[in-house]
Amino acid sequence: MDEIIVTINGSQLRGSEGMTILEVAQENGIDIPTLCYKTELKPIGACRICVVEVEGSRTLVGSCHTPIAQGMVIHTHSPKVLETRKTIVELLLASHPDSCIICDKGNMCELRKIAADMEVALPPFKVRKRYYPIEDTSPYIVRDLSKCILCRRCVRSCSEIAEKNVFAVAYRGFKSKVVVDFDEPIDKEVCRDCDVCTRFCPTGALSKPREVGEEKKGEALFISG
Amino acid sequence: MNNGQEELLLLLQKAQNEFGYLSEESVAELAKSLALPISDIYGVATFYSFLSTKPLGRNVIRICKSMPCYLKNCQIIIDTVEKEIGIKPGETTPDGKFSFQLTNCIGACDKAPAMMINSDVYDDLTPGKISEILKACK
Repeated sequence: MDEIIVTINGSQLRGSEGMTILEVAQENGIDIPTLCYKTELKPIGACRICVVEVEGSRTLVGSCHTPIAQGMVIHTHSPKVLETRKTIVELLLASHPDSCIICDKGNMCELRKIAADMEVALPPFKVRKRYYPIEDTSPYIVRDLSKCILCRRCVRSCSEIAEKNVFAVAYRGFKSKVVVDFDEPIDKEVCRDCDVCTRFCPTGALSKPREVGEEKKGEALFISG
Repeated sequence: MNNGQEELLLLLQKAQNEFGYLSEESVAELAKSLALPISDIYGVATFYSFLSTKPLGRNVIRICKSMPCYLKNCQIIIDTVEKEIGIKPGETTPDGKFSFQLTNCIGACDKAPAMMINSDVYDDLTPGKISEILKACK
């Protein structure tokens, strides 16, 4: 395979044809934050958090889906990149409900982790939140689409890994939404014993229904007298 | 990309022209014949403003809400149409005469604000022109 040499943050790095900027960076220990990207899934560049600066390119490019080319000069942590990433997280948080404190995903949420890593506080944008009713008809999966950030990890994992094609994205712009069939609440028998999408969801939008007695499994509170 | 995906948009337009809208039955049938998931087809059908998943009236009014029309105050046109026919964007009159929708650019930016009724374009709109245009509709 052809060897391709690129310059990332001033140092010359080798990669082979077909590799993405992100892959080369990761191989060389350069940390680029990602959200919609997962090694198991095809990259689609939906969330834009992994953007980097490529000299000569009009816009910032998504590193997870942009293949390297001979002689590319890339900056992964320039001021412009850092500022853009921060704004992207702020925008994602702006339309996400502020209910982290009572969210079951609370401390496992990848969106929250990225926000903490980038030191993003309360977003300065005033955006309408999109509230949808919780879908808990299915015995196998619970959906709370108000928390969905449209990373499409569920859509991709369901079609690429589980091969069941339950989800698709419908509508347009601000109204975009992950739908099942004719935008019906999820209640599908194919979801039985699957659990693939719930594990891929970075936020609290997808989860398994609570089992009886689950809340007793946690550590006992120590109450001093 | 399989063949089904390539043909999908054309077939959706065809079904829309034939039945006036995309019913659940026709979407389900398309899904079966193209071997595509229903949700994928529903996604495409709801993305384009010229496709509809609900039954439409005899005259479909589509007012452009893209930037040039917005800057030429299409809101006043929207308000006028709302007042004339008594429904809001996204609705159909009970008698089935009018459906009212907002759409993205229809390519009449040089004569903004513009709207379409069925396949006819009306441009350089002013609130005064609206009632005459609507009266001509059957």
